[in-house]
Amino acid sequence: MRSLSRTRAAAVSACAVAVLAAGASACSNNSPGNSAGSSSGGGTLTIQGDAGNPTLVENFNPLSSAELGGTRLIYAPLETVSSVNGGYTPFLATGYKFTSPTTLVYTIRQGVQWSDGTPLTPADVVFTFDLLKKHTALDANGIWSQVTAVSAAGSNVTFTFKAPDVPFAATIAQTPIVPKHIWSTVANPVTFTNTHPVGDGPFMLGSFAPTQYTLTKNTKYWGASKIAPSSVVFPAQSTSQSTNQLDVSSGQFDWAYQFLPDIQRTYVNRDPATNHYWFPPGGTIGLYLNLTQAPYNNVNFRQGISLALNRATIAKKAVNGYMPAASTSGIILPNEQQWLSPSLPDQGMVSQNIPAAMAAFAKAGYKLSGGKLVGPNGTQATMTIVQPNNFTDWVAAATEISTELGKVGIKVSLDEPQYAQYSQTTQSGTFNAAMGGFGGTGIPYNDYNLALNSTYAAPVHTPTANNFERYSNPAVNQALATLAATTSPSAEKQATDRLETMMYQNLPIVLLYYGGSWGIFSTKHFTGWPSASDPYTLPTPYNYALLTVVTHLVKA
Amino acid sequence: MGYILRKVVLFIITLWAAITLVFILPRLMPGSPVDAALGKLASAGVPITNAERAAIEAQLGAPHTSLLAQYGDYWNSIATLRFGTSYSFPSQTVAHTIGVALPWTVFLVGTTTVLAFIIGTLLGVYAGWHRAKLADSSVTIGATFFGAFPPFWLGLLLLYWLSFKYGWFPIKGGYDPGTTPNWSLSFVGDALYHSVLPGLTLAITTLSGWVFGMRNNMINTLGEDYVTFAEANGLRSRTVAMLYAARNALLPNVTAFGLALGALIGGTVLVEGVYSYPGVGNLLYLAVTNHDFPLMQALFLVITLSMLVAIFIVDLLYVRLDPRVRSST
Repeated sequence: MRSLSRTRAAAVSACAVAVLAAGASACSNNSPGNSAGSSSGGGTLTIQGDAGNPTLVENFNPLSSAELGGTRLIYAPLETVSSVNGGYTPFLATGYKFTSPTTLVYTIRQGVQWSDGTPLTPADVVFTFDLLKKHTALDANGIWSQVTAVSAAGSNVTFTFKAPDVPFAATIAQTPIVPKHIWSTVANPVTFTNTHPVGDGPFMLGSFAPTQYTLTKNTKYWGASKIAPSSVVFPAQSTSQSTNQLDVSSGQFDWAYQFLPDIQRTYVNRDPATNHYWFPPGGTIGLYLNLTQAPYNNVNFRQGISLALNRATIAKKAVNGYMPAASTSGIILPNEQQWLSPSLPDQGMVSQNIPAAMAAFAKAGYKLSGGKLVGPNGTQATMTIVQPNNFTDWVAAATEISTELGKVGIKVSLDEPQYAQYSQTTQSGTFNAAMGGFGGTGIPYNDYNLALNSTYAAPVHTPTANNFERYSNPAVNQALATLAATTSPSAEKQATDRLETMMYQNLPIVLLYYGGSWGIFSTKHFTGWPSASDPYTLPTPYNYALLTVVTHLVKA
Repeated sequence: MGYILRKVVLFIITLWAAITLVFILPRLMPGSPVDAALGKLASAGVPITNAERAAIEAQLGAPHTSLLAQYGDYWNSIATLRFGTSYSFPSQTVAHTIGVALPWTVFLVGTTTVLAFIIGTLLGVYAGWHRAKLADSSVTIGATFFGAFPPFWLGLLLLYWLSFKYGWFPIKGGYDPGTTPNWSLSFVGDALYHSVLPGLTLAITTLSGWVFGMRNNMINTLGEDYVTFAEANGLRSRTVAMLYAARNALLPNVTAFGLALGALIGGTVLVEGVYSYPGVGNLLYLAVTNHDFPLMQALFLVITLSMLVAIFIVDLLYVRLDPRVRSST
């Protein structure tokens, strides 16, 4: 799902690409950005910050959906979870265990203090979850749709679930914890902007200005001795992606998340010793077909579409060749290699095969006649693909899809509204076909459950953000239920294999190519960035990977 | 003063129509504010789930009242000058949000509009007076060349060469990141430095309009009998050009200038976007992409009002500038 993030990536204006590609290799301008290196300790870490147009909104409420990104360094959760492979990094908690499939026990770290010196206790954790229960507007992860009670005993906090949901531990783990002694007097925690945050994370708010904010090291943080930077600066981004590309290319950030065309020339070559990038896949982009409509509800028709597409070409057109064609199993390779079912031919990759596609269409009752793919009722197969107009990689992919499907006789048209209309059309189920993102949580259960579980398949005209293609398959639901309830690795693997096979055979979503995570780093001041050889998390500063990475850094 | 009374009545009717349109237009956009907020989160990399959707619905308190009731609230908000809470800046009042952005745009676009008007008009007078000579063709060709640049494209070019490649100007923002706007000398200097490129972009791309308007008016006016008469009387050519021809040729340009001043509040969305300038143009872009009805309504209202007031003032000014208007009342 995070896959959507490539949108920023993708909002590449062609002119900047041309300008950059034409000139950057000849550029000798060096990066002046980071003169602020502090004399006391590790120095300043500069991270490309939130979009601020015209200014940033001062909001450090970690439970809000509109908080500034740096809030994640001020409020540490129980644990962070890698979106590469679902691996945990402990923070407030030292670990968890399921005492039964519906009882989760987190052990809270001893001797932790809030940044104002007050001790942090399990009561703070319970208070935070109760706050989410009281204010549904804050419960954006749906904790209380799954949890029925949270209680503390000793250094443990126990969560009781409605139904078995082992993978839900990750969602609970990444909930920011707030101090009871301050938040219990906040009148309205939903609109609270928390401009003087007291947190448990490695950093505190240093200063806030309308286009930049600075965090300073929290000396009371339990692991403070291992935190390399003495301060973290977040300059605001521009609304214009071209401007952001120049900004990143100029080398003023230690860490940026930005799609750059021809990155070797536009970034790395400007200072090859310190300029690095890592663009791992962060999700799968696919063609969602509305399964409540004919002929898309016919699996043979979907097979035909899948076989008629050249995924390599689509990927090349969409993301400049940075990302390859995707496995149609829903597994992200190489991130989740350990989950890939060995029984899938060719890792679940599907190559273009027009005769096979025509055979599949024929099974669905569609035959080529005068260049048109004509169905049993004598009319040509048509399809309108909807995608947000600012997600330029999706637009490029859809354009290529329409060309390729045109060649097998399907009349394809493209609809490119603003995101809001895209969201309305897809969620209400009134679309034919839509570009969309799949997976990317690092936890296969979450990926498959959100996209395929029929409990989300609301009737057409009732909005649903998940399973909006409205797939319904009892066998899938059953595999998901098994996966949710088991703590045994072999049972987990078996159930995941079944889901992959069903995904591959039934094509509820025609998966196409991987969406990239555009991590751009400089090792001038700090090292220890995630990379292909050390993929401990995705290079995505917009979620809790920020905390994982910043606490992982070492002074260069 | 029947002329003025008529103009006032017309002004009031136009105002009502404009205010009502400002209410209707944003609501015709497909997709709800909740959908737009999901889009913002999706672009920021947050997974979109039903739980997220429910939380946002609860946060925004999406309007469930009827359109008519919303229209009533809207008039109420105009009467009290309280435009509610914007979805994009929930911790500020809408008036405050706009108040912060407005001075930047007024300063940037105001200065460049006045400069472009003065320089462009003078160039137009010059080209018109020397029509069909080398001076005329060089001004005309130059203006055509620069006027043909789309502003954001020129902005990107300047940004790439002068900021990125040579580092003479900052890449983004209206002032140094990390500083808070104040009236200190260093801040004002810094803000001026940051406004050079956006100002240049706007000035270059708007100049040509004034040049052409004025040149063509000049050429028309120069054909008039009274100009020939003045020349025949042996007046200095400078006097003829400025006082006889330009004085009359200026009238249509003054109308256009009024409109341009009225329009400047709307900012220049693309140029402000390219330079990440903290003005109304960027705010408007944000409001539209977020389906932020309260902010959009207030912004459109400010834009419409400033436009109407500018037109009204130009109308009144005409009484002074053009005796023919006075005599026809």
